[in-house]
Amino acid sequence: MTVQSSNVDPITMEVVQNALGAIADEMALVIMRTAYSTIVRDSMDYSTGVCDRQGRIVAHGMTMALHLGSFPDAMAALIRDYGDDMHPGDMFIWNDPYSGGGQHLPDVYIVKPVFAGDELEGFAASLVHQIDMGGIAPGSAAVYAREIFQEGLRIPPIKLYERGEPNRTFFKLMEKNTRIPDKLSGDMRAQVAACRTADAALTSLIERYGSGTYRKIVEELHDHAERIMRTEISALPDGTWSFTDYIDGLGEAPEPIPLKVTITIDGGNMTLDWTGSAQQVDAAINCPVPFVKSACHLIVKCLAEEEIPNFEGFIRPLNIIVPEGTIVNPLPPAACAARAIVGWRSLDLLLGCFAQIVPDRVPAAGEGGVTFPSFSGYDGDDRFVCTEAWAGCWGALPDRDGAFGIPNPGGNLTNQPVEMVEALFPLEITRYGMVENSGGPGKHRGSNAYQREYRFLSDETQMVMRSDRRRFLPYGLEGGRAGTPSWNLRNTGTSEQGAIPVMPMEPVIFAKGETFRHVSGGGGGHGDPLDRAPEDVLEDVLEERFTAEYARDVYGVVLTGTPFDIDRAETDRHRTELRNSVADAEHPAYLTYFHDALGIHEFRLVGEREMES
Amino acid sequence: MKYRAGIDIGGTFTDLVLMDEEGSVHAEKLLTTPDEFGRGIAEGLAAALRNVGAEPGDVNIIVHGTTVATNAILEAKGAATGLITTEGFRDVLELRRLRIPEMYSLNWTKPPPLVPRRLRREAREKVGPRGDVRLPLDEASVVAACERLAEGNVAAVAIAYLHAYANPAHEQRSAEIAREVLGTDVFITCSSDILPEIREYERTSTTVINAYLGPILSGYFDSLQRHLKQIDVTAPVQVMKSDGGVMSVAAATQKPAYIVESGPAAGVIGAARLDTTANIITLDMGGTTAKASMVEHGQVARTGDYEVGAGINLSSKLVMGGGYALKLPVIDISEIGAGGGSIVSLDRGGLVKVGPESAGALPGPVCYGRGGEEPTFTDSVLTLGYLNPGHLVGGDLQLDANRARQVLETAIAKPIERDLLDAAWGIFQVACGTMVRAVKAVSTYRGRDPRDFTLFAFGGNGPVVAAEIANLLDMSEVVVPPTPGVFSAFGLLLSDVEHEISRAWLNRLADVGPADMENAYAALQKELYGVMADEGYRQPDYSVTRYADLRYAGQAHELTIETASAGGAPDLATLALEFGAEHERTYGHKAEAEAVECVTLRLIARVAEDRPARKDATSGGADHKADPRQAYFGPVYGQMETPVIDRAELMNPVTGPVIVEEYDSTCIVPPGWKVALDTQNNIVLTRGNT
Repeated sequence: MTVQSSNVDPITMEVVQNALGAIADEMALVIMRTAYSTIVRDSMDYSTGVCDRQGRIVAHGMTMALHLGSFPDAMAALIRDYGDDMHPGDMFIWNDPYSGGGQHLPDVYIVKPVFAGDELEGFAASLVHQIDMGGIAPGSAAVYAREIFQEGLRIPPIKLYERGEPNRTFFKLMEKNTRIPDKLSGDMRAQVAACRTADAALTSLIERYGSGTYRKIVEELHDHAERIMRTEISALPDGTWSFTDYIDGLGEAPEPIPLKVTITIDGGNMTLDWTGSAQQVDAAINCPVPFVKSACHLIVKCLAEEEIPNFEGFIRPLNIIVPEGTIVNPLPPAACAARAIVGWRSLDLLLGCFAQIVPDRVPAAGEGGVTFPSFSGYDGDDRFVCTEAWAGCWGALPDRDGAFGIPNPGGNLTNQPVEMVEALFPLEITRYGMVENSGGPGKHRGSNAYQREYRFLSDETQMVMRSDRRRFLPYGLEGGRAGTPSWNLRNTGTSEQGAIPVMPMEPVIFAKGETFRHVSGGGGGHGDPLDRAPEDVLEDVLEERFTAEYARDVYGVVLTGTPFDIDRAETDRHRTELRNSVADAEHPAYLTYFHDALGIHEFRLVGEREMES
Repeated sequence: MKYRAGIDIGGTFTDLVLMDEEGSVHAEKLLTTPDEFGRGIAEGLAAALRNVGAEPGDVNIIVHGTTVATNAILEAKGAATGLITTEGFRDVLELRRLRIPEMYSLNWTKPPPLVPRRLRREAREKVGPRGDVRLPLDEASVVAACERLAEGNVAAVAIAYLHAYANPAHEQRSAEIAREVLGTDVFITCSSDILPEIREYERTSTTVINAYLGPILSGYFDSLQRHLKQIDVTAPVQVMKSDGGVMSVAAATQKPAYIVESGPAAGVIGAARLDTTANIITLDMGGTTAKASMVEHGQVARTGDYEVGAGINLSSKLVMGGGYALKLPVIDISEIGAGGGSIVSLDRGGLVKVGPESAGALPGPVCYGRGGEEPTFTDSVLTLGYLNPGHLVGGDLQLDANRARQVLETAIAKPIERDLLDAAWGIFQVACGTMVRAVKAVSTYRGRDPRDFTLFAFGGNGPVVAAEIANLLDMSEVVVPPTPGVFSAFGLLLSDVEHEISRAWLNRLADVGPADMENAYAALQKELYGVMADEGYRQPDYSVTRYADLRYAGQAHELTIETASAGGAPDLATLALEFGAEHERTYGHKAEAEAVECVTLRLIARVAEDRPARKDATSGGADHKADPRQAYFGPVYGQMETPVIDRAELMNPVTGPVIVEEYDSTCIVPPGWKVALDTQNNIVLTRGNT
């Protein structure tokens, strides 16, 4: 093995890299332990980072990965506006996607420049999903906003503190523009505390090495990250591949919205081109470009065989092309509060494209990303907003079944305890668990879907949410079947049962006593289900993931006796029969089982993603 | 002469310490006998008693720390266990809290649930968050669930219903039904008994762990006591809990979930008890990991955010999901994958990495000559001249220094174009830098400045790295206790009988009066008296301290604050102020206008015992004299001729560099440090003004 030599010794570099990582983690802990709103403290929807004096990321906390890749654009905006006007004791705040490199209005940056003496040496940066920034709907994430002006308070980069003095004008203004001022100010205090903690730690680190040496080390570490990234890319085959997938669409009569990515690998460089994606739409799912870049950075890190350092130098070999005016790079005043749906789909899209390049590393599609429902209303005289994070179904990998109950790689979030939700809000949760006979069949099966059902206890509860993957299902790979669709159902199991659109274009209101059930998408399968080992199918039945009838009709595995055992001869015969029969493409058996159990009878399988290379 | 015996079982060695009434200590390391732990312990104890000239009847108490519980979970060798939950929630155990301990991973392997889905059954019932019954218990559904578990031949059953912390009636009735259906041999745990606190995954997981361990640990304790009886040792056996207290074997058999981290806890307790006013950070570095913990004014720090089997437990909750949640009090120990066996490698960009992969005991470091081919931390410090190739574990382990040098040269030094000593020094630096993170996780992450603390080093490798870690953190004092390599076993002897009980009590302080809180404490206290009576203690044998877990209304994480002791009604306004002060100390800010909310009340009963101060120490190894050797202390000092002495030679202060070699550990005193013995025979290193 040969290693390119550098000016700074590899030991000091490793020590400094570790120390910076520790600072970013410490920030993350401060926010987790002192935040007030459930979405921050329990779901952990926030991010922390340390930047160098040019605003480039040098470390990030173990936080929300899909946020992190947007820090570069946000820091560039800050330096553009205040490059010559930063002083010790200053702290900045902003959220605007169009003037500040933000993502959507609830994601609020609070950033503190760090000085050694009078010299700017870096930044402590935090990004927290604030529970409510005003706007048309509680939670500030309605799908149905048509302009960003409806989505809440837009904050360009401004000073939250100036030379240590708080900006009282801003705090007063903010307080009048949110539904829950106490939680918002509590969460902002947590961000401020995290930045101050990092400020002290970073200053002492820089003092240990001296500013000159520290800066040199940082440069070397950016170069080091770039070297590792180039090594990874060079190991991939050269060529061009495309992948197209669709978002189901908006409202009661959804029209498919295409997303397309084309990846070109040329030696140590990679181009990710989003040309061919839909034009921006008249709803809040437009995705500001920092979030799309973030998706690219994230997937490249996931696929690398070696851990990619967090130094921003690793993005130098990446060329990301995102045409203006599209849903992945909207122009103002496009609404973007529910942009995450495009963000999550971008991850599936990138993985689908890489499945053609490095098939052994890529899973089939999962449930479609994290869903953030927001329930609001009055509990007696008190206003409440309960925002949760739902996730947990993975597509199958080439060598194993899709995992059940771990989050999407883009957002390492946590669910909220049922008991906490019930203790704090007028909501009752009546079930939370696996949906049997669900998920995409395959030699390795996709994860079963999960479901979570609520009964509403206050007179009127308003729900804002978006989901996806009802019509265009989580794709399978190598002959594995698509995962099962996602459903949002009202009053399941009663004569009042009805489906709510994936992306409702108006508020959804529930009366006291009504129920709402979210059924997630199930993970896509990998490989032909008729090749699944009969022993694995038996285990699925014993674990009550599938019924014996489902095992027979979907996997061709015939079980007999008590307890169940595999009837080998019948299984062989039945599998041959299934292989030779012409399946009903619109009503495959596994979807019929899934929908019959939910009392849904008018489902027809349509679209599929497209690949080319 | 009467003796207390501390016995700490680890994977390879069992450490045994005897202390007599005058405080004299005798330490031995025995080989662990994993096929039947009791046999090895009994044989070793008999031999140790012979060595000090004592009879079996002279032992008046045995305090035991064990990894049997942890290993049963790590190796998935617990009892076949069933779980009964509220209808609609059988998958809570498997869904967990979702979060995983890695970023950017597409193939992370989730630990399988301790109870498979087929053995997770549901009962029709529902209780609300205030204990209101929303759906009465359908007993037929419990019978049906138990019948399914009977078909699955379970040896243990966990019962965990939603909000059972607020109303345990449904669980308790279900336990009766389970006994009727499954028989009295089945080990049953209710969540309302083991952890009556809010958050269903953590409570369910804790309940399951207790049930999963129950049958295994009762077999283990039976065997241990049988073997002790065979050598005529009839002294009572106490077991170290994860929170540093001890409990009787009878209690540990019922609540084995309390003893999961008993080994690591003992060392921290030992450090805390040696000086009850001290502010220290403990550093325990062994073969695979390094562990740090904080002791403030003699009080250990506890946490409830813990997972079994997560491997790394750095800064508690950020790295989460790798193991099984166990929300019982445990000493807050942060652990990182840097030990003697940690493997040294280069990444693709050419940076030196140490761990977290470990060569373990087999094949072990290259220098062990047992087939290890990858360089490790131990190979590097041997190359630096810090270890004596002929004197590890009193010479029982011979090291091949040449082989270690060759492998380091080829695998590391050549590729990064450094000479061998520079490379070895670099590896030492990187490992110490990693451990600094563990120390920070228990100090700066909680608002404490390490410079205000003494670093207290033990474990086989702790005294090797302590001074360098102190250098990196600007700490000025390091203490190395006698018998540092078996210090955890020694710590067992310093632990108190201690019981903690807790109860969810979700109220804003402004909404309740002092009498409400007093009544809640009184009810809890009555329960605690019962627990202590079962252990054979009555007031005033023990003291009771009250704590409350408080937060600003709306936060998710609480801080535990000591409240005024029993007697007077608590002053809630003062309590709120004390909470604000602690919040500011820990997180750098407070919010006086915010409502303060209580989540949990806790009581801890402690039986303080009189113990002799420790005096001299002897060990199983022979005395030795070693020649000075060349040791390397970085580019500033280079390689230096370094005297090698034993602890007794430190009667007069010495200036570094010097190496203090002992039976069970090696203490490195670099240049720039002074070293002396204190009155308790501790090695004390003091940093000079450099």
